[in-house]
Amino acid sequence: MSADPCAGAEHLLQPYLDRALTASEVLRIEEHLTRCSYCNDRYVFERALREQVRSSCCQEQAPPGLVERVRLRCRQADCS
Amino acid sequence: MGRSVMPHVTLVELLAPDTLVGMADDREGDAEGDPPAFQRVVDGGSPATDRAQEARDRAWFEEEALSHADHLYRIALRLTGSPPSAEDLVQEAYLRAFRSWRTYRTGTNLAAWLATILRNAYLDEARKQSRRPTQESLDEHSDYYLYNQLARDAAVPQDAVVSRLSGSAIVESLADVPPVFREVVVLVDIGEFSYAEAAEILNVPIGTVMSRLYRGRRLLKQALATHTAGEGSG
Repeated sequence: MSADPCAGAEHLLQPYLDRALTASEVLRIEEHLTRCSYCNDRYVFERALREQVRSSCCQEQAPPGLVERVRLRCRQADCS
Repeated sequence: MGRSVMPHVTLVELLAPDTLVGMADDREGDAEGDPPAFQRVVDGGSPATDRAQEARDRAWFEEEALSHADHLYRIALRLTGSPPSAEDLVQEAYLRAFRSWRTYRTGTNLAAWLATILRNAYLDEARKQSRRPTQESLDEHSDYYLYNQLARDAAVPQDAVVSRLSGSAIVESLADVPPVFREVVVLVDIGEFSYAEAAEILNVPIGTVMSRLYRGRRLLKQALATHTAGEGSG
């Protein structure tokens, strides 16, 4: 981690939100977030944004009949 | 095989007569072992049985693959930006997947395998229309730009700020992010793939996934800020 603790947290924030950090890195950023309101605000903001993206884009379902159309096309194209 | 055995034995006999007995014994053992082994293959794997097993494997694969239709469609929708294009892309991906289903190794990540095919189909289509995703330069705005813009008129908690963003604002802003960055955001945030899976799907190192993801999310925030600014003035 660099001398600036916020720069270090910046580096870890994204993988932290994506749950891609090692246990020791998680401890390091969580410790920083409890002490630094600037970074914690950013964390809360980023986390909320990600959830909002998920809830906006993860509700859609394939149009009705798509699976059947795939089966049909596959039989016609003889893609076995 | 029978033809090649005799000259071989003759040669061994000429060069090292002492070894002949051992060699002959070995060959005898082989001779006894071969036919049953061959027989087993015939018993266990007649063409009809093979075909039946393959049909079962194929049917299983097809059901498993099709169970990912919603997931693939969501990714396709964010890559292409329109429902008809997304459906075409999903159909094309499934046709390709079914054609090459034998290359899928059971027990490996089918969702990632399918997403790889979908993404390749998307790239091929984009190439055809000569709008291949390219790297684009970035305006360097602060990551807090969107936050500042949303929070400018009230002191509200950060998560409440984000909840002001409508679903359509997010969908439209995501569409404004250049494809090379958007696809990583789509795979990780919407497809819920890990960095490693996204790296495999995109065929790039994990570090590239992380840097594109970072830039992609930053571009998304910029697009959202622009979008909400437009809403505010309009």
